[in-house]
Amino acid sequence: MSIEIRLPTALRAFADKQERISVEAKTVGEALDQLFSKHDRLRQQLMSADGKLRSFVNVYVNDDDARDKQGLATIVKEGDTILIVPAIAGGSATAEAELTKAELARYDRHLIMPEVGPEGQKKLKNASVLCVGAGGLGSPLALYLAAAGVGRIGIVDFDTVDESNLQRQIIHDTQSVGTSKLVSAKKRLLALNPFISVETHEMRLTSANAVELFSKYDVIADGTDNFATRYLVNDACVLTGKPNAYGSIFRFEGQLAVFGLKDGPCYRCLYPEPPPPGLVPSCSEAGVLGVLPGVIGTMQAIEALKLILGIGRPLSGRLMLYDALEQSWRTLKVKKNPACPVCSEHPTITAPIDYEAFCGLKEKTVTIPEISVNDLKKKLDAKENFVLLDVREPHEYEIAKITGSTLIPLGKLPERFTEVDKSAKVIVHCKMGGRSAKAVQFLIEKGYDATNVTGGINAWSESIDPSVPQY
Amino acid sequence: MSLRITRAIEDIAVATCQAAFPEEGCGLLIGPIPEDFDRPGRTLEVDEARPLPNGWDASAKTNRYLIDPKILARVEGELSGTGRGVVGFFHSHPQVPAWPSPFDLTMAMPCCSYWIIEIRDGKMKDSRSWQRTEDGRSFVEEEIVLEG
Repeated sequence: MSIEIRLPTALRAFADKQERISVEAKTVGEALDQLFSKHDRLRQQLMSADGKLRSFVNVYVNDDDARDKQGLATIVKEGDTILIVPAIAGGSATAEAELTKAELARYDRHLIMPEVGPEGQKKLKNASVLCVGAGGLGSPLALYLAAAGVGRIGIVDFDTVDESNLQRQIIHDTQSVGTSKLVSAKKRLLALNPFISVETHEMRLTSANAVELFSKYDVIADGTDNFATRYLVNDACVLTGKPNAYGSIFRFEGQLAVFGLKDGPCYRCLYPEPPPPGLVPSCSEAGVLGVLPGVIGTMQAIEALKLILGIGRPLSGRLMLYDALEQSWRTLKVKKNPACPVCSEHPTITAPIDYEAFCGLKEKTVTIPEISVNDLKKKLDAKENFVLLDVREPHEYEIAKITGSTLIPLGKLPERFTEVDKSAKVIVHCKMGGRSAKAVQFLIEKGYDATNVTGGINAWSESIDPSVPQY
Repeated sequence: MSLRITRAIEDIAVATCQAAFPEEGCGLLIGPIPEDFDRPGRTLEVDEARPLPNGWDASAKTNRYLIDPKILARVEGELSGTGRGVVGFFHSHPQVPAWPSPFDLTMAMPCCSYWIIEIRDGKMKDSRSWQRTEDGRSFVEEEIVLEG
């Protein structure tokens, strides 16, 4: 197959000034091999030492990016053209951006303090903080970081603004109810300070994405409301070496700490295991004083700024507890746990784990014992001792029933299950087997020996007693 | 070694970068392809500056630029066989000196001129041009000669 390769101006000098070069090849990889075998200087420009195309080299087959096809394995046919096109990119990322005149004016009250000054303000401008959650804590946190001039603020959230959020989540407003929290937050932050950039990450933070996301920021500020995400944030911070300005709130109380500093403890040093699921209610279950996240989130912002500026004493190795009703702060010492599974010298966790499972949030899969209608018939015929429980509704019971059954509708079971003899074997049926399976699971959890009738009364009618009507 | 440009070309590139502030502006430098394009210290005559949108995603345009390879391929196609080509690139460093960053070096092509324009508070403060060495390890500054 005769294939034409076209080179950009910048590379022709390495191929005897040719723009178009013909090769015989069946794939893109073969074509490039041939090109490079004739022009070794070109190989050095386009291939890395390990024999891969450099990241900025784009290869097009006719008009399509080879990466969207099969890469180097993409098949080429007679008359195809392979274009080598560099992605021209660059930028000033590594040099620290200086403050503009407008910024010098805006941050005047920082600049006149020697602890911050122009150098500190430049640090803030060139720093990045990731706010995990745009809720109660994330609101004051992101607002103050933006106002203070933190150059790059990332927010990760996937929720929309609900009316019940507005009692405390002051980054959003009444107009934003029903819209994306990220869109609402970004709009507000940029209105407050147009000199910063706001990066929104609309996704659920997971074991699969946390490490990569955290690695792009200098400081992580945990404002999450659940244990699974809190452990994930902690572990990903330790794994990426990023400090975690942590805060949490509950009713009238708040907690504050900096975790994940090199010599300091992490959240797991303080709490190796999460509480059993359901023991600690969430804010949506137990409520929270609207101003409380304002106190704690603002303190997180202070810790984040201190970490960036390198001033003061970070709240590492200490846990601050705030009680709004007593209007009191208490500080507890937290030691680094030498056996911590994440931050000790010999960690057992070296990558994010399954936090839903770790926190006991995954539904346990219970195998529901089943019995066929034929076996049920045998038991009935043998007059074995068991309770036949029907969990359908009374009107269904009127239509069709199996003689000898007891009726307790599924919805009534939680209040009436004690009517069933606990010492007896319980066989449960409904119309087709679905509701009765739920009843069996409930009864097993309550300590009963319960079994589900596969196919329900319909199967009974089908296989055992056609005189029972199907409905 | 020099990058020779006209005042009109400088005006176009500077205006593009000032307008893009606080984001980075960028574009192509087009001219005759010199016989000794790959020689360190060759002279480059640029007869056209073509501003392009900064194709980097919105999150980091203040310190990154990207020229869409599809646009570059189209322009190279237009110039094919004319003896002219895309011989260099310009981009701005907002609030940062006009020295190439390590990222500039990682992404740079050989032979070409990389003209960096420093924009301070929306106005050009300095501009410098650079040619990458063939081994890709460094940039060598070249003189910018304004003609006409």
